[in-house]
Amino acid sequence: MKDRLPDLTHLQFVVLGALRESEQPGRAVRDALARYGVRRTAAAFYQMMARLERARLVEGWYEQVTVGDQAVTERRYRLTPVGRRAWDATRAFYARAEPARARWSDA
Amino acid sequence: MPDRLIRWLARLLPGRARDEMFLPACQDLRVAHLRAAHLRAAPRGRPARGRPARGRAWAALVLAVAVLWVDCWRLAAVARLERWAPRSARLAVEAARRRPSPAERSSMFLAQIRQALRSFVRQPLFAIAATLTLALGVGVNTAVFAVVEAVLLRPLPYPDADRLVVLRHRDAPTGRTKPDIAIGDYVDLAARQSTMDRLAAWAGGRATFIEGGETVAATVLQVGPGLLDLVGARAVQGRLIEADDARDGAAPVVVLGHALWQSTFAGDAGVIGRRLQLGSRDWQIVGVAAPGLEFPLGQAPDLIVPMPMPAAAPAQRRSRWVYALGRMRPGVSVEAVTRDVEAVAVQLEQEMPAKNQGSRYYALTERDAIVGGTRTPLLLLAGAVGLILLIACANVANLLLARGVGRRQEMALRVALGAGRGRMASQLVSESLVLSAAGSLAGLAAAWWTLPALIALAPPSELAPLLAQVSLDARVILLAAGITAATTVLFSLISGLTVRAGAGAGASRVSATAAARRASSTLVAAEIALAVVLLLGSGLILRSFAKLMAIDPGFATDHVLTTAITLPSPRYASDAALHDFYRRAFDALRGLPGVEAAGAAAVMPLTGNNWTTGFARADRPLPPGERPPEVGWQVASAGYFEALRIPLRDGRLFGPQDTPGGALVVIVSESIARQFFPGERAVGRRVRLGGDDAEIVGVVGDIRRASLTDVPRQDLYLPFEQAPSGNAITLYLRTSGDPELAAPAVREALKQIEPNVGLGAARSMARVRDASIAPTTFAMTLLGLFAAVALALAAIGVHAVTTYAVRQRTREIGTRIALGATPDAVVWMIVRQGIVVAGAGAATGLGLGLIAARALTSLLHDVSTTDLPTMTGTVAVLAVVATTACYLPARRAARLDAARTLTSPGS
Repeated sequence: MKDRLPDLTHLQFVVLGALRESEQPGRAVRDALARYGVRRTAAAFYQMMARLERARLVEGWYEQVTVGDQAVTERRYRLTPVGRRAWDATRAFYARAEPARARWSDA
Repeated sequence: MPDRLIRWLARLLPGRARDEMFLPACQDLRVAHLRAAHLRAAPRGRPARGRPARGRAWAALVLAVAVLWVDCWRLAAVARLERWAPRSARLAVEAARRRPSPAERSSMFLAQIRQALRSFVRQPLFAIAATLTLALGVGVNTAVFAVVEAVLLRPLPYPDADRLVVLRHRDAPTGRTKPDIAIGDYVDLAARQSTMDRLAAWAGGRATFIEGGETVAATVLQVGPGLLDLVGARAVQGRLIEADDARDGAAPVVVLGHALWQSTFAGDAGVIGRRLQLGSRDWQIVGVAAPGLEFPLGQAPDLIVPMPMPAAAPAQRRSRWVYALGRMRPGVSVEAVTRDVEAVAVQLEQEMPAKNQGSRYYALTERDAIVGGTRTPLLLLAGAVGLILLIACANVANLLLARGVGRRQEMALRVALGAGRGRMASQLVSESLVLSAAGSLAGLAAAWWTLPALIALAPPSELAPLLAQVSLDARVILLAAGITAATTVLFSLISGLTVRAGAGAGASRVSATAAARRASSTLVAAEIALAVVLLLGSGLILRSFAKLMAIDPGFATDHVLTTAITLPSPRYASDAALHDFYRRAFDALRGLPGVEAAGAAAVMPLTGNNWTTGFARADRPLPPGERPPEVGWQVASAGYFEALRIPLRDGRLFGPQDTPGGALVVIVSESIARQFFPGERAVGRRVRLGGDDAEIVGVVGDIRRASLTDVPRQDLYLPFEQAPSGNAITLYLRTSGDPELAAPAVREALKQIEPNVGLGAARSMARVRDASIAPTTFAMTLLGLFAAVALALAAIGVHAVTTYAVRQRTREIGTRIALGATPDAVVWMIVRQGIVVAGAGAATGLGLGLIAARALTSLLHDVSTTDLPTMTGTVAVLAVVATTACYLPARRAARLDAARTLTSPGS
């Protein structure tokens, strides 16, 4: 079988990876990106999340949380089945690519 | 508040940017803000650090929301452009993503700047007009900002200057304020207040001493404990004044000012320990202050002496007035200090109702004390020059619009040759940058040139030392750079709009022209609106000035010369010596040619003086515990009333019979006679003066003593010969000719009697009067000047837009003339359109002007901000100017040769 390049960019791969274990608020996802050195403004980050939602890779909704004695809403995200498959496929691609890279470097 | 701000800002965003970016990101900001507030409050279980910390957190949240909002707009615009961009542009973007090297970039930038310069050289009229207009806007703005920066923003030369406050006295029943406070109250305030680290008393004065056989006149700063710490004074020799020096019975010591030490003692280090005779006492020199000490601001004291401090607050509350300077504790506001000292004042009132009834204190920052009433005119001026800049920008924008429409062909050619959007945009930005930078540089040069004139126009006041520091420093240049950046963006956008409109298909040419014309008319209407705001403001100030000039102060200000004199204290320590000098001086002065009357008084009218004293009739003593009503008081000789022509209503003026040891007499003003002696004759009655009674011997007319806007006063006059008036006094001379011409002869006559007499500047009373309304004159001159500039710019705008419209419509006008339109009809058609634009601008400007005029309230006297004659005058001036500006191009249009116009290929 011909090995096709994955559909996800590195950034999308990291975002979906952050949501793989459990649903997360947007802030937490943004913090996860920051750990990889990806710094986006809040607006740019949510624009990217909206694009992922439109591609049906993630699902977002508002949820009420309480801070101190005040109730506020925050945007939370979880991985859709499509997103999970895309992440798995990308992960598998890199897993296959790794031995290939090792072969090239041996040669 | 942020919720409302968020909702309001969200409404202004496109739907997707709002829902997908702005709102979720705002929720994150809110969560972070609440968590931070919660964390701040939690450890101590109370809202920590009070309002300032909360305020800063709110401010940070609001700022973050604003930045987010701008970012959402940016991303939305990028997304929109990506959707709109044709394939070629997308490819160009791809290509552009290969970032050029810095060297490539700088050479591209330089090439574009060169191209921009070439395009301006090809159109020199446009370049000169735009640069000069911008230079005008930038010049006046930087000049005024330089003054605002030096006066309102630059730190004062004291440690922790932003925490320094002065205390002032306010008489609650009359609302009158004094800059100084009674020493008894000062001692209690210093002991009981809790909002200041330190509160120190000081007083100023002048003294003379004899050194090396020469009389030296010196300024004296009397300092209470802690004052020198507050102002950051240091000693270069010996020591400064210490707390022990102010105790009762301490040996008199003096610290020399650095300048006096250098000039009079030649910087001799052996001066420490020497003695100096000041007044009747010997003072020991204990130190020399370091150079640079200026207190009060702008005055380097020659001598610094301790202020004797009573161990306990004296019961006497109506004598020995001192100034008080304090340093607020960190984190304390001026309002908190005012509340604190007000509470102490209320306690003192309850403890001593007979002395302190209605006596209140308030704090204001040292800067506000110095800047005083000048803050409003200054900010007003800053607003006015801001309007000028807007008008200048509108004018340049108009020029750019006209030029842009004319350049459509050039732009189309560039696009046809393959210039991408980015390239076109950077070309326009380069042109705008060249224009803005040239305008700003010329403006800075203009500011450098006009700044001294602006400072010279400023009224003489305590601000002089601050004004002396005005310079075009880094902050001012930063402002000019900021204006350059802002105008570059503005002009690039306008050029971009015209190019975009012009870059469409050929068929859209007509609509593009109409759109440009509409934009141009809107800009001109805006210019007129701004000019009307300035015209209205200057009109109101002008009316107020006219009313001030028409006020009768109750005395004559013409043909009066005033001069302050100080007698050397060692020789005039006794009252007898003083009075002997004054008697001889008055005789000599009256004998001078052209002098009709000569007198003396302690208080100079129209200089804001508010000295008051309690007034009580001797035959109707006040019940114990009640404070007598306050009236103004003055020490004057008979010649004072004659020189100022204050009319005698009843009785007599002071005379030779009113000697120091004789029966005490007073003169009262007629409003005292009216209020305290209704239905009876005041002359012959007795009033209580301290522990003694004095007889009223005369009634004189009321005068406006503190200022022209003051109400005519109740004043009590004590005879110069009977009241201790010290060795410093002001002389008043009525002359038959120009009073200032008599000054040299007066000087000569006084020097003959006492060669060491200290003479202040001789000023005519008319000059004193002018100085008293100097802030109004200053505001009127500059607002008038700026209004004239604004009007001229607006007229140029109207003229330019009408000329442009006429040029665009040449063919149409030619057709109309060919079809029989008369020249009058053509003129009217064009003028009518100009008047519609001017009318719309004027109506908007009147509305804005009515709102803006509220800022002028403190400068207006007896003129309402909705003054009908001023509004009518403004509209009339504008109508004339706008009609003239439209008429000139309209007349040219009416003279068009129809045949040539219609056959010309270019039309």
